[in-house]
Amino acid sequence: MLRIEFQLGMAGIPSRLLETGEAVESIEIDNAMPVANSAVFLFLTVRTDSEVTEDSLAMELPGLEIIDMSQAEVSSHTYYLGVIADSTDVTVFGLLTENRAIPHRIVGKNSQLEVVASVRDWNHLKEVASAVEEEYGSLELLGTTQTNRIGFPLGSNKIKQSMSGKLSDEQLEVLETAYQMGYFKVPQEVTAEEIAAELDISRSTLSERLRRVQHNFCKLLFGPQE
Amino acid sequence: MSTIIIIDSVEEESAVEEILDSIVTAGETVYFLRLSSARGLGPLIQAINPMLNYGVEYTIDCLPENYDASDLAAFAVEVDASRICIGISERTLTGKARIDDATQSILLHDGISGDLVVGEDAIILEELEYGQ
Repeated sequence: MLRIEFQLGMAGIPSRLLETGEAVESIEIDNAMPVANSAVFLFLTVRTDSEVTEDSLAMELPGLEIIDMSQAEVSSHTYYLGVIADSTDVTVFGLLTENRAIPHRIVGKNSQLEVVASVRDWNHLKEVASAVEEEYGSLELLGTTQTNRIGFPLGSNKIKQSMSGKLSDEQLEVLETAYQMGYFKVPQEVTAEEIAAELDISRSTLSERLRRVQHNFCKLLFGPQE
Repeated sequence: MSTIIIIDSVEEESAVEEILDSIVTAGETVYFLRLSSARGLGPLIQAINPMLNYGVEYTIDCLPENYDASDLAAFAVEVDASRICIGISERTLTGKARIDDATQSILLHDGISGDLVVGEDAIILEELEYGQ
């Protein structure tokens, strides 16, 4: 099985959201479930660079029914939306599932849709790419890796969503950088000093942010300290 | 059996070593196919020494600057390559092997199919079959 990462021109609901006057920075499709009359129930994570209200979004997105909108606890410009949209608003999702690829991540930002999906093999990759190119004109493959596991499909993102709403952008950045650089591997592939240098912060700031991340993880798992 | 190794940077020594170590067997022919971005393979070949260290015959060829996947497919058909190997020179933020334009054009080319294996340092297209 191959995990592929590709990008294509913006379309569908991410495009509509980015075209609103609400300074939307990115939209991630967390889940998509078909409902009656070729409509689809979408769960989205929307990041903006300023405050957004449900009314202002609803005004700018006629035809889109906003069922629920909540704000992340720490990242105040991150919103979780539940909407009912037309299935044509998530064409890439439909294309992937129709072609039996497993969508893992669909994010719209910087005028591009970034997609991570799993395909069976090289031929399946070609089939999926061909279907996407037919619909969108072109696609750019970014990366691939081989895997034996099916991984988490779109919609199995609840832990990530729960956690990311409880961590600040700085804490997330520290955590992700440390993870990507191999800080949590055994043996460690990088020292705390190297991560601090990468992030251009002091060793003590790094340590403080990582401890806050650990504290928040524990709080989520075990509840508040007695 | 013959193998094409596409080189787009002279710094792909580890990829070439992985391919010669674990993919290619002694007695095979290896075609080092240099993209115009890789200048002079002399030092790389010298360091690896394919004949002495791996017992393979080899040639060095160069693809034209504005080549497309059809040129590569034609070359692969001409030498009846059973494998095409591409070094992984970069990875995405999530650790996937970065696919550049050249690799994409090969992966999505209608005339080449087979198995795709992603190794530590190289993408290996094997069991190749050639269409139109």
